[in-house]
Amino acid sequence: MPDLSLIRNFSIVAHIDHGKSTLADRILEYTGVVTKREMREQFLDDMDLEREMGITIKANRATCPYPYKGRTYMLNLIDTPGHVDFHYEVSRALAACEGVLVLVDATQGVQAQTVANAFAAIEAGLSIVLVINKIDLPAARPEDIALEAEQVLGLDASHAVFTSGKTGVGMDDLFKAIVEHIPPPNGDPQGALRALIYDAKSDIHRGVICHTRVFDGTFKRGDKIDLMAAGRSFIITEVGKFTPKPGAVESLSAGEVGYFVAGIKTLVDVTIGDTLTLASNPTDRPLPGYQPPQQMVFCDFYPGMGSTTDQLREAMEKLWLNDSSYTYATVGSDALGIGFRCGFLGLLHMRIIQERLEREGNVTVVQTAPTVTYEIKLKDGTVTRIESPSELPDMSNIEEIREPFVNAQLIIPAECVGVVMQLSRERRGRHIKTEYLSPTRVMMTYDLPLCEIIYDFYDKLKSCTKGYGTADYHVRGYDPGDMVKMDILVNGVPVDALSVIVHRDKTLYRGRRLLERLKKQIDRHQFEIPLQAAIGTKVIARETIKAFRKDVTAKCYGGDITRKRKLLDKQKEGKKRMRTVGNVSIPQEAFMSILDPDD
Amino acid sequence: MPSNPPITSPSLAPCGLYVHVPFCETKCGYCDFYSVALKDRNPTPLVDCIGRELRQRVNGCAHAVRTVFFGGGTPTILPLSELARLLNFVYEAVNVRQLEEFTVEANPATVDDEKAELLVSSGVSRVSMGAQSFFRNELATLERLHSPEDIAPSVATLRRHGVGQINLDLIFGIPGQTLETWSQSLSRAIDLGPDHIACYGLTYEPGTRLTAMRRHGRMTPCDEDIEADMFLRTFDTLESAGYRQYEISNYAKPGCECRHNLLYWRNEPYIGVGPSAAGCVDGRRYKNVADVAGYVRLIERDGHAEVDSEIIDTEMLIVELVMMQLRLNEGLSIAVFRERIGVDPRDSFGEALMRLVDLGLVTVSDTHIALTRSGRLVANTVVAELAAVPRQADLALPIL
Ligand SMILES: Nc1nc2c(ncn2[C@@H]2O[C@H](COP(=O)(O)OP(=O)(O)O)[C@@H](O)[C@H]2O)c(=O)[nH]1
Ligand code: SF4
Repeated sequence: MPDLSLIRNFSIVAHIDHGKSTLADRILEYTGVVTKREMREQFLDDMDLEREMGITIKANRATCPYPYKGRTYMLNLIDTPGHVDFHYEVSRALAACEGVLVLVDATQGVQAQTVANAFAAIEAGLSIVLVINKIDLPAARPEDIALEAEQVLGLDASHAVFTSGKTGVGMDDLFKAIVEHIPPPNGDPQGALRALIYDAKSDIHRGVICHTRVFDGTFKRGDKIDLMAAGRSFIITEVGKFTPKPGAVESLSAGEVGYFVAGIKTLVDVTIGDTLTLASNPTDRPLPGYQPPQQMVFCDFYPGMGSTTDQLREAMEKLWLNDSSYTYATVGSDALGIGFRCGFLGLLHMRIIQERLEREGNVTVVQTAPTVTYEIKLKDGTVTRIESPSELPDMSNIEEIREPFVNAQLIIPAECVGVVMQLSRERRGRHIKTEYLSPTRVMMTYDLPLCEIIYDFYDKLKSCTKGYGTADYHVRGYDPGDMVKMDILVNGVPVDALSVIVHRDKTLYRGRRLLERLKKQIDRHQFEIPLQAAIGTKVIARETIKAFRKDVTAKCYGGDITRKRKLLDKQKEGKKRMRTVGNVSIPQEAFMSILDPDD
Repeated sequence: MPSNPPITSPSLAPCGLYVHVPFCETKCGYCDFYSVALKDRNPTPLVDCIGRELRQRVNGCAHAVRTVFFGGGTPTILPLSELARLLNFVYEAVNVRQLEEFTVEANPATVDDEKAELLVSSGVSRVSMGAQSFFRNELATLERLHSPEDIAPSVATLRRHGVGQINLDLIFGIPGQTLETWSQSLSRAIDLGPDHIACYGLTYEPGTRLTAMRRHGRMTPCDEDIEADMFLRTFDTLESAGYRQYEISNYAKPGCECRHNLLYWRNEPYIGVGPSAAGCVDGRRYKNVADVAGYVRLIERDGHAEVDSEIIDTEMLIVELVMMQLRLNEGLSIAVFRERIGVDPRDSFGEALMRLVDLGLVTVSDTHIALTRSGRLVANTVVAELAAVPRQADLALPIL
């Protein structure tokens, strides 16, 4: 039975790029679980795509031994994702910990996601170790930043640990702080088994591997267990710990973190947040579990040219078994055929899923512009939610349309307050408060419609604050708004996949911009193509794509033939990403062109 | 060189010989041919190597050479003695009396009496002259070295020495050019009485100075609509002056079509020699290295300078037949397509073809599929539509 007083369960939370992955690497390296030679850069980011996008998506983990004052502690690092879309997974990881390291870049200071994550940890009642990182940088201001964190987050600056994940400076202080400031888990190893499934991954050889944190009791190979929420029983075939590769152990008991395998075939059979208990001695106090992830951003995926609906469906099913953070359901569009309405945690999440589908499922995907969920109150009093403009009931039956609002924290340089207020006003934001973090930095809190920020709000914020601004938000609820459905007609044919729901005040502006962008995306054809934006039957904006008149290669002689033929092949490839509507070939980008309302 | 089963060319078909002379006075801003400034380079080693490759290729080829084309570059920029040697290689390797055509490209003010005399006495029957424009500012935009006044005397010199056929190249769609100045260039060209006029729309080829300038906004390209009007104006002006359009950019008095270029457009075999030259014989296309020093080194070491080659399979051949033959006013020969692919093109292009006919871009007769006047303006689109028609399995006939 492990000595609980020697266990520390913790996560690292940080704003993106503040060095979380690098520090995790050092932790594994300094405790010897991974040798320097084995250390791939950023060992914990184990999906290619994550590496490319530079973010951690799936929570990772490792158990690291640390000798201190004559005893060897087991430090369980539970890695958390770093992007705003993945709050959900962060809170998942936090539920398995007693403490967190709040990591802050010594040159950047506290940023929006630092605030959001630190508050989530405080709310969860976890102990916090403030870590000021990257102190090797010449521009580092560790003391100032520690004071800033004290002011904003209410953490004690005098206990801050100063580290560099790059050089390894301060690692010993860090380990000491983990041991001394993060409490050991308390739990009853003899009690009825209560273990939290905080994550699960699919493995081709072993089926589903469930990541678990044991709160009370013990379980081992051969035990018959119940998944309480799912109401299903399994026999444990393997228990183990991450080092960071999975390695079998005898048993897992109260306070420990590890994994189990139990002949569970697909991820669908597991509910993350479920409580594991022994069939022979079940607990009567299941753990609180999680809110299911809330998909707030929706768009449709259609098969691109060269792919079929069946291929896309197969790819979606396969991916979903690996990652059920998104939802999908079959939809039909006149313009695009049969496809899938998909729900995502956020825009980044959406892009990642699309990429993975194309890459892992080997299909081409045409994606429609993302939209948010709206609550529709009908005249008869019933309330429904819609995930697509096409689901909007007849306007005459609608009492009101409610749109989701978020509470957003924007951390920006003080001199940018003016431009950020302007930006937020353009996005129909309501200012709530402004707090000074330091004489030069400000945290502004806004109430903003989600649909106004899902597209490009971050990019805009970044550009108007010269890259310094950061933002974080959470959805706070629905409020009524004066929303209308705007249709887009290409060559006189309404393209359902291009319809959007917009605030009435913005229809003219949005309609014009949209058509301008569409015009750039659609190539000239042999005939003139009118583009129209309409609300009901009223056309509010119009553009024309002139017929092209000349598209002919001037010279083609013996030396040109190969190159010209290859050019044709390339064009053929390009056609894969087009859909034809009313005789007009519309490239995929056009369906995404509603994405950036301001270019 | 690997030998492969002959698939594309009937073995007795005539064949063309292209010789690439990669030297120019200076490099024009729009040009993407491989050429370098001659300056004080010694062309002798290159000429030697071209001679060696030419002998080998011609001797190793089962087809009889019926047309020769010296292109470049500017072949006439070579010093008289080197030009003479190069012409002599042809004389030695092919039966000049059986030649149907022997063309040399030239630029205005690069042919004096001596060179003209040399060309004619070496059997050259046709000279293609890069006139491009009769307006000084347009020539300057193109970074051409000659002036409008050089064109007429050069043509006169060639005629005086008895060059049988003369072509003038012209360019439209030059930044700053108007429909009016284009018309004037056309008439001045007509006034010189050439047998053949080629009118090319200016193309922004990747990697050229002109393209870079456009990208950096230092030059405004000609409006697409004006260019289309120029294209149509060209047709009308030249046809009424007795020049028949026989290819998208080429016009000739009856019987004066360029035989050598027709080989390309009819997908017939051609040998290419010299740096960057391409050849295609018996279903295999090769390309030589585009580098003078590299070419000399490779020829001396390996006896050839190929850096690329491909076997034209059925699918590629289908695309090439369409792509090349539709350029011709006569169009794609249904008989040739059947003979080489094994199916009737009207069947294999089916619906796509009918759609193009309905749009008025293509006509189908008993013998040919051809572009219409409006189809020619958008030839690329038409070709792309047909090239995109998926091949049915039965088209992948066993090749033998
Ligand atoms: N100078 C310095 N750079 C660091 C340090 N830690 C991380 N970095 C760099 O900061 C960037 C972001 O680090 P990463 O660990 O990926 O951040 P994450 O997004 O929080 O996981 C990378 O370019 C790292 O090389 C550090 O302690 N010192
Ligand atoms: S003269 Fe002809 S080949 Fe030479 S650079 Fe100019 S355009 Fe190119």
